[in-house]
Parts: sequence; C-alpha cells; structure tokens
Amino acid sequence: MELQSPSRALLEADNLTKRYEDGQLALDHVNFAVAAGEIYAMLGGNGAGKTTTINLFLNFIEPTEGEARVDGIVTHRDPLAAKKKLAYVSENVMLYPNFTALQNLDFFARLGGRTDYSKDAYRDVLLRVGLQEEAHGRRLKGFSKGMRQKCGIAIAILKDAPAILLDEPTSGLDPKAAYEFIGLLDSLRGEGKAILMSTHDIFRARDVANTIGIMNQGKLVMQRSKQDLAGEDLEKVYVEYMAGYMDRETETV
Amino acid sequence: MFATLVEKELKSILLSPKFVATFAVCTVLILLSVFVGIREYKASIAEYETASQLSEQAVRSATSWWGVSPRVFRKPNPMQIFSAGVNNDIGRLSDISTWTDVKLRQSSYSDNTLFALFRFIDFAFIVQLVLSLFAILFTYDAINGERESGTLKLSFSNAVPRGTFVLSKFVGAWLGLTIPLLIPILLAVLLAMVMGVPMTGVEWSKLAMLIGVSVLYFTFFVMLGLLVSSLTKRSATSFLVLLVIWVCLVLIIPRAATMAAGQLVEVPSVAEVESQKDRFRTDRWDAFGKRRSEAWRERMAGAEGMSQDDRRDFMDNNREKWAQEDDESRQLMEQEIAENSRVVDEELRNRKAEQEQVAFRLARMSPASAYQLAATNLAGTNTSLKARYEDAMKAYRTAYAAFIADKRAEEQRKAREESSRNRSGMRITFGGGGDSPVDSSEMPRFEEPDQSFASALEPSLADLGLLGAFTVLCFAGAFIAFLRYDVR
Repeated sequence: MELQSPSRALLEADNLTKRYEDGQLALDHVNFAVAAGEIYAMLGGNGAGKTTTINLFLNFIEPTEGEARVDGIVTHRDPLAAKKKLAYVSENVMLYPNFTALQNLDFFARLGGRTDYSKDAYRDVLLRVGLQEEAHGRRLKGFSKGMRQKCGIAIAILKDAPAILLDEPTSGLDPKAAYEFIGLLDSLRGEGKAILMSTHDIFRARDVANTIGIMNQGKLVMQRSKQDLAGEDLEKVYVEYMAGYMDRETETV
Repeated sequence: MFATLVEKELKSILLSPKFVATFAVCTVLILLSVFVGIREYKASIAEYETASQLSEQAVRSATSWWGVSPRVFRKPNPMQIFSAGVNNDIGRLSDISTWTDVKLRQSSYSDNTLFALFRFIDFAFIVQLVLSLFAILFTYDAINGERESGTLKLSFSNAVPRGTFVLSKFVGAWLGLTIPLLIPILLAVLLAMVMGVPMTGVEWSKLAMLIGVSVLYFTFFVMLGLLVSSLTKRSATSFLVLLVIWVCLVLIIPRAATMAAGQLVEVPSVAEVESQKDRFRTDRWDAFGKRRSEAWRERMAGAEGMSQDDRRDFMDNNREKWAQEDDESRQLMEQEIAENSRVVDEELRNRKAEQEQVAFRLARMSPASAYQLAATNLAGTNTSLKARYEDAMKAYRTAYAAFIADKRAEEQRKAREESSRNRSGMRITFGGGGDSPVDSSEMPRFEEPDQSFASALEPSLADLGLLGAFTVLCFAGAFIAFLRYDVR
C-alpha cells in the first residue's frame, strides 16, 4: 500500500507501532508519507489510532517499533530538532485564559523560535484565520471553542514550520468557519506545507486532501489518493472498509 | 526561550485574579501585624521605663540597705515586632534578693490571658502559615494544570527542553510571588523606621537575615507545589495532597515533636524543683537555728555565776566575735543553699536542654519548625531568651549580694558603734540605717544580655541549611519527575 510521493516526504511513518504498558496495541505497523505541498487526511473512528500517530510525531510518546520522521529526523531520537519543523493544532485548542489573543500568539510564536513578528503580523494572521479584530485584544477566557480554534491555527501558521499536524481541526467550528478553514488549508498547501490531518469529517477530507487513509483498531486499512477515489462515494468506501476489516478480524478470531 | 517562559509565568501569575486577592491580603496582614507589633513594643518600652524608674525611686528612698530590694526588668527587644517567639510567655521582671532565687515573672500572657489564648499575629507567623499556604495555592497546578488545560501539549509541540521548562516554572513562580511580597515587607520596614523604632545596626542585620530566611522558607513551598504538581496528573489531587502535607508540616509535626519529646525525656515540674529547693533550704535553716541556739547556750554557759556587770562586760567583749561567728556560719549555710539551688537548677536546665534538643531534632523534620526556630533565633526571642536573662540576672545578683553584704556589714558596724555610745545616754536606732537615704549611685547596675549578630546567626545556621536542603531536594524531585511527565 506504499504511495509514491510527487516530491520530498516531510512526514513519514515507517512501520510505526505503539503498544502501551497495559498491552493494548494502539498502532500496528503503520506506513505513510506526506510530501511538501500535500494534505494527508486520516479518517477513522474513536480509538482508531489517529491521535496516537500524531502524538508519536510530536514525541509525546515513543514508538514500540518503527519510527516517525519529520524531514528525515527520527522524532524519538532528536525530538527537539524534529519539533522545530512541526506545527500543531489540537482538537480542542486551550490557550492561556488570562492572556489576550495577541499575547497568546506572541508567547507561542516566540516559543516556536519566531521573535521577529510585530503586533501587526499577529493581527494579520488572526484576520487571515477569521478572528474579528475586536477580539484580538480580548482575554481568551471569554472565547468560544471556535475562536480558540482559530487562535490555535494562527499559532501554527506563525510558526511557519514545513510540516503541520492537525488533530480534528474543524471540531467545534461552525460550517462557515469550517469552510473558511478548508480554504486556509488549501493556501497552506500552496505554500508547500506538508499537512497531516486527523478527522471524522469524510466530506471535508475528500474536498481538501491529496491522500486519504482510513484507520481502524491501530491499522491503516486503506490509503488512496484523491485521483484514485474520484467518482467513488467516499462515505460508502469508508463504511465498506471499516465493515470489511471488521469482518476479516472476526473471521480471523 | 527561557526568558520567554519566565515572562509568560510572571504574566500568568500577575494577571490571575487570585494574585490580586492574595497580594491584598498579604499586604494588609503584614502591615497590620507590624503596626500592631510596633505599638505593643512602644507600650512595653513605656511600661519598662516606668517600672524601672519606680524601682530606682524605691531604692533611692530607702534609708537602710536592709530595706533595699531592687527589681530588674527585661528590656523589650525591637525584633519582637517581627518575631515575638517566647517574648510574651516569659516573665518581664525579677526581684533581686540575697534570700530568693532569680525568677522571671509577670509575663504579658499571664497579665492578659485573652492574648495567651489567641496569640499575637507577627510577621514570622504570617510567613509560616499564610504565605506558605499562598505559595501552595499558586503552584499546586503549575504543571498538571497546564496538562489539564492543554497548554502543556501545545508548548511541547515546540522545541522546548523539559529542563528549561521546569526551571522557568520555578523562576517565574518564584519571581512572580516573591517580588510582590517584598513590597509589603519593605513597607513594613519603612513603617518601623517612620514610627521611630530604635533599631541598631545589629538589629537591622538580623531583620535583613530574617527576611532572607522567610524568602527561603517561601521558596521551599513554591518548590513543594511544583514537585507535587509534577507528580500528579490532576490539579484537584495535587491540591489535596499539598493541603495534607501543609497541615502535617505546619500544624502537626511541630506540636507532635514537642509532645513526643515530653514523653521521651521527662523534666521535673517547677513545683517539684521548688519544693526540692525549699526542703533543702528549710533543713539548712533549721540546722543553722539549732547550731545557733547550741552556740548561745555554750556562750551563756561561759557567763554562768558572773555578776550582772561582769556578765554585761563579758557580753560586750564577745559580741563582735560572736556576731562574726554567726555571720560566718550563716554565710556558709547560705552558700550551701545557693550551691544546692545552682545544682538543682543546672540539673533542671540540663534535662530541659535535653528535652529541647529531642523536640527540636524531631520538629526539624518540618521546614515550618526549622523556619520558626531560625526566625526566633535571629530575633532573639527563642527558647533561650529566659535563660539568657536569668543568667544575666544571676550574675547581677552575685554582684549585688557582694555589694549589699558590704553595705549591710558597714551599717551593722555603725549601728553597733552607735549602740555602744547610746548606752552612755545616747539615742537608740534599730535596723542599722539612718534618716538619710542610701546612696544608690554606688549600687551595681544590671547589664542587659547583649546578643550580637553572629551569636544570633550561629544557632540559625542548622535551620538555614535544612531549609536550603529541603528546597533543593524538592526542586531536584520536581525536575526528575517532570523529565518523565506525560504531557498529553
């Protein structure tokens, strides 16, 4: 199920396996690659292993087998170097509630090694992600989930890392904001970013991703390019793969 | 990176609503306690000066050295404003007499039992209880709170070394809490200056050191909060754990250690000691009385069969010799009583010291006790305050006894001379004195026991070392725990 990437792979999962101390196999020999200027959407139910994959790229956990690489850097061997090339947006962005949006952006930009931004640059990014100007100077504690999510995306953009990890990024966004977010992802792809996105949203994944992977019980059960899926009903494919895989598992048992 | 993290930590603390509340409470408490402490100190100085003057006046108005019974007073110490220690528990004066032992009596609390019940709030108390609790309130969620809110995950999606992060947590929290706390402390110092508290250079040095020890003690609790926060996943758990630790360290261990020491090393009660001394004194006086009666019988036997005139001559010729013999015998007995008192007191003091050492060793398991001991040592209001004063008063009593013995002997000699003259028709006076008051300027003066900075610091060094060690251990623990912390 290996795919040939058109350009250099920035995110690579090579036989990536994670078994927790309690014996649970969270990820089972997963292989994929995301090239610069490409969006890879990971689909799957809860507990499929999507977030575990992202956590392995961030070195929040170490793999039991295999490796995750960012621009060729093995994340568990040199996590700091790998993280310099990564930006991350979590499912539920939580920032410092007593800081304003601008203060949060400033802190995380500097933490990401960017000390060259002006306040105007922060405002521009916030406007780009769709956060209204009146909210820029407000404390985060009054922000809705969608507004926080926009700030999280702005932080990822400000880091200007070659690879971006998005864990359920549209969760909590209203349809309009989700639509705008897809446009934003498209423009980031245009800037040559490699984007790995985990999502439950089949339709948006089909709209934006170059490659779609379906995960189930820690395994990557399907991986196809947008061209391969052209003319197919992705929802049907998803359900069939999930059901087929489950049937195979049942037969094996 | 480090500066960014520290700055963020500082901002987080300064912008949090709980900071405003705690800063206001601390400022009010510290300033109020120092203000009340200064007023109390000034009132006790006024009381001390009045009582000293009255005592001097009583001495000056005496017409015979036999009627002189001076009192010495414990001079209030300006450091008691900041750490009262045992200052209010021990007596403020002692009678100086050749007949009775030196004993400090009339403590502030014995005069005013209401304060004994609820005690005074001084600066050291605020640091020991209130600030330590505030340190915990600000640090219990330093690590796990960020994990719960998700900011830890976002921070560590960047190239942030864990060591740098935990160090910045400590530095940020420490600066964010200590610097604002130094403001009311410095205001309190300013208040002491404005209200004219007579502080010497040594006392300023002691105060500076006390503030330093307070900051170290506060740092320990900041570290403890950081340690527990990096050992637990939920902030509610760390808060409860820290609260239990705080109760044990601040409220239970110091008291339990004292109680345990009381059981391990028994010290006779004051009543037992006094009765032991009384028994010895009564025995010696009885024996002295018997010896004296015996001696008089023997002396009178020598005058048996004499005519009245011969008898009077016999008496006159031997009176001085006999008086001298009686005096020597009495002095010998008094020396014996004094020596016995000294031995009994020394035994009591040794037992107390032993008990104290056991209590201190056990109590020092808690940094709160180490802080309290260091604070009272530096302020000069520690448990040795009583012994320090009583030793100085005993030394004074010795000098006074020698002086008064000379004066009384001189009066007796004069009285006898006068008595001899009176027998030839002159006026008879009793008690040895005259109409004119005694010259009290010759009387030795009581010297206050002085405590240098070095002698105050020396017993505090062990506690300072312990506080430093506890703090370093907590930081090392927090550092190691955070290296393995699951940031998800």
